[in-house]
Amino acid sequence: MRLLTHNMLSSNIKGVTNGFPLRIEVEKVVEKSVDFNPDFLKNMFAKIEYKALVEASRIMGYAELPDHAEPSMLESDDFLRKFHHALMELHLEEGTLVCPETGRRFPVNKGVPNMLLHEDEV
Amino acid sequence: MLQILSTKQLSTRFIHTGARILNKKEMAVRQASLGGVDVDLETKTNVEKLKRGIAEFYDESSGIWEDIWGDHMHHGFYDPNSTVSLSDHRAAQVRMIEEALKFASVPEDPMKKPKSIVDVGCGIGGSSQYLARKYGTECTGITLSPVQAERARALAAAQGLENKVSFEVADALNQPFPDGKFDLVWSMESGEHMPEKAKFVNELARVAAPGARIIIVTWCHRNLSSSEQSLNPDEKKLLDKICDAYYLPTWCSTDDYVKLLQPLSLQDIKAADWSEYVAPFWPAVIRSALTWKGITSLILSGWKTIKGAMVMPLMMKGYKKGLIKFAIITCRKPE
Repeated sequence: MRLLTHNMLSSNIKGVTNGFPLRIEVEKVVEKSVDFNPDFLKNMFAKIEYKALVEASRIMGYAELPDHAEPSMLESDDFLRKFHHALMELHLEEGTLVCPETGRRFPVNKGVPNMLLHEDEV
Repeated sequence: MLQILSTKQLSTRFIHTGARILNKKEMAVRQASLGGVDVDLETKTNVEKLKRGIAEFYDESSGIWEDIWGDHMHHGFYDPNSTVSLSDHRAAQVRMIEEALKFASVPEDPMKKPKSIVDVGCGIGGSSQYLARKYGTECTGITLSPVQAERARALAAAQGLENKVSFEVADALNQPFPDGKFDLVWSMESGEHMPEKAKFVNELARVAAPGARIIIVTWCHRNLSSSEQSLNPDEKKLLDKICDAYYLPTWCSTDDYVKLLQPLSLQDIKAADWSEYVAPFWPAVIRSALTWKGITSLILSGWKTIKGAMVMPLMMKGYKKGLIKFAIITCRKPE
């Protein structure tokens, strides 16, 4: 699961008012090289929750992404590459996503999150 | 919302039309399947059983399907009354995607085309890959089957699309996404698995962003006439056999889908019957199952898959009788 995906997942357990972002518990992170595509990144920047990405990337072991970002920073190649690395190249292969309100744990196995809810959670 | 009438009230109302009277239990099942009422504990347990059945069915049979048919697990779109050979089917499956996008008027203009896509009931990711490539953007797929999700991931990676498509094990009735996330909400032949149609449709609408298109391509039963409360017993018997083998809950009609979409403030609700465009599909699937490769694969795959294969002629029968319809329903969320 890369952080672009993590940035769109939320916990929709019954009664939860804010299930985003899910807290990450790392067991295995893999770095995968992905083609650098500035246009794609610029499009994505508008759609993602940047703060959640920064927090998540730190947990995944990458501390280079600045705490805050403005759209103007997309013109900087240096920032774009850091953004690219955090968003696209860090993969959680094994670990857990944790609901910020209930503490409910959603496993991630072989890079695939399992977000199925139990009967009493819907 | 349908009212549960007593048998006496129903017999008074319908005795002259000769339409079949549903008993209380059947009415409750029909209502529950549309999802318009709170479901009781028995229904909830059945839903859990159904979801497990669906996951296991696809865990078991995805491999053999992929082996013979490739990564698109949906009908092909054919010119009516055409004769097709086995090699035409993949192109027909791709055409099905394109025709559905066209029907929904999904924009191709670089400024207006979808920038985020969800594939609800993604199988092994055939549609996800195609859509991500077509629009040059990211797509995420959800499936109840962990085997499918993992296979989808591997296939996408093999095509160099790992950075554009992702897959999660998740429930279409409780999608793990915040509201308004996706510009294109895609459900290609997964609707027939959804036990609570209202909830399914509500979730599709919830995760759709302003201006997004929602596309549902699914198996329905024929629309009921105004004097009918349900299908006739023979029709129900045929569908029940199919439901059992394919892990399908009670079917609904295309009209039912339209009625469920109407209260959700969606625009341009369109529906069509595409049954004539998919006619060559089931005969082709049956033929492929009867090849040497088909038979040996079935024997090796497991009982659920074999049962599914045995029921294929019933699908053909259902289409021929005008009972089963291949439907497309699309709409747009307002800006």
